[in-house]
Amino acid sequence: MWRKSKPYLLLLPATAAIILLFFGGIFDGLLKSFGYFPAIGQTELNLAAYDRLLSSEAFWESLTLTLRVAALSSLLSAIIGALVAIALFFLNDAMKTTSPKAWHRLFQLPLTIPHLVAGYIIVLLFMQSGFVSRILAAIGWIDDIADFPVLVNDPFGWGIIFTYAWKEAPFVALMLYPVLSRIHGSWREVSRVFGAGNWQFIREVVMPVMMPAWTVATFIVFVFTFSAFEVPYLLGVTYPSVLPVYSYQLYTSGTLADRPEALAVNMILAAITILLGLVAYYFSKRWNVLKGWG
Amino acid sequence: MKKHPRFLSLFLFIGVFIFVIVPFVPLILTSLSFGWRWPDVVPQAWSLRAWEYVMNDGRTWQAVGISLWIALIVTTINIILAVPAANAMMRYPVRGRWLFEAIIFAPIIIPPFISVMGIHLTFLRLGLTETVFGVVLAHIAPTLPYMFRAVMISYQTLSTDWEDQARMLGAGAMPRFFHVVLPHLLPGIVAGASLSVLISLSQYLITFIIGAGQVVTLPILLFPFISGGDPGIASAYSLLYAAIAILALIVMDAALKRYYQMNKAAQNQAKGVKP
Repeated sequence: MWRKSKPYLLLLPATAAIILLFFGGIFDGLLKSFGYFPAIGQTELNLAAYDRLLSSEAFWESLTLTLRVAALSSLLSAIIGALVAIALFFLNDAMKTTSPKAWHRLFQLPLTIPHLVAGYIIVLLFMQSGFVSRILAAIGWIDDIADFPVLVNDPFGWGIIFTYAWKEAPFVALMLYPVLSRIHGSWREVSRVFGAGNWQFIREVVMPVMMPAWTVATFIVFVFTFSAFEVPYLLGVTYPSVLPVYSYQLYTSGTLADRPEALAVNMILAAITILLGLVAYYFSKRWNVLKGWG
Repeated sequence: MKKHPRFLSLFLFIGVFIFVIVPFVPLILTSLSFGWRWPDVVPQAWSLRAWEYVMNDGRTWQAVGISLWIALIVTTINIILAVPAANAMMRYPVRGRWLFEAIIFAPIIIPPFISVMGIHLTFLRLGLTETVFGVVLAHIAPTLPYMFRAVMISYQTLSTDWEDQARMLGAGAMPRFFHVVLPHLLPGIVAGASLSVLISLSQYLITFIIGAGQVVTLPILLFPFISGGDPGIASAYSLLYAAIAILALIVMDAALKRYYQMNKAAQNQAKGVKP
């Protein structure tokens, strides 16, 4: 009896902690999104909050913005991350020294910077009177503050996208590099024997090897940027706001009537992230991401 | 063909430099400047005003203390929860393994603020809001999965043969764990702890909802400044905040290395090798 139940007893504390603290909270939120507030005498469940939400323009605009910001952020991080990973790979291949490790370390610095700080760094760089605007003025590209486009606290979300690209490109590179480092030096030689140049080698060998890990890394960045709060809260505008910020605005609006709507936004967010997570899990299993090729 | 590496290396150097280092330049300059006007690329006047404000304000060090204290408690709880769970996962035939994995890894996919907003009123009723303990409870879900994963990877390379050998030599359960299992898990635990501390330090929203402005961690203190406050003070606080996050990682890494050195020295002494 003891032998059989032992692993479950060992798993119990961690599982119970997550079920109580995490799923308990989600369930609590789910009930309240259905209008269940015993404190004010409401114990009947209804879909009124979802009804109001799905018929409001603000929700759909928020969803569109969230999708756009997440898609552009993950795409930009994926491109920068892949370029750096490939450059590091060729450097390592050509020099066979330890110096690329130092590059690698340096490139990972943004990963350790808290999101709010990264957001503020982008504010100081890209606001209209920011550092980039000053440099452009110094070399004579612009004459006035107003000539510099509004890239921070803008309705399109450029500031948010730049922050995520800066924070997450190193993450993509970090995911790709171990996969690339499994390409043997001899493959390069073989490709040369067959007359392939650098570009052909990248297209025919490096890209296919990199593809599964690249897709999954990009997907992870997408799911994260889709549901993160801090950066859009700092760098976005009040309207339209991304879904997590929209939910927070509803939650803190002061009237208790908005709370079920805020929690309904959360439940929709949770459902979308679960779906995305399952897709990512399915592909990472199928493609054997860690190996790089199936 | 031979020229390629040097060219590429230079290109990469410039690229990484612009991407990683240059963004910090305006942050540092703003924290040290005095009335930095628009077209000037470099400030005309320098001042330590912002740093003096940040360093002399009692709230700064209180916030640093509370942030690290919360991160430390959260990480300790995570270790206690994750080690047995990872042990069961890697070494026993567990039925419904995927379900346990799905439950413990869920907070990586579903954003934790969703759960915290839902549980907020319940915490309020239980008197957990505005307390450090409440914030600690809120920080466990987003950090535990990373600790669990790191310890699981460590268990993967630990064969049960080692423990069997210790058992044959007469070691009980406790000595077996502390002298055989724990030293092997330590690198994984440190890796998990680094992530756990980093994630706990960077939580803004869930700390704000549960702490309700009464538990002032670094991000809570920082936010009013970076969203339209004094840029000099905002920059100084941002640099301090980033430095503390990086410092926490370096200290943990150094502690692990030191542990290995001490262990090696002790073993050498036991073998009669002069240090």
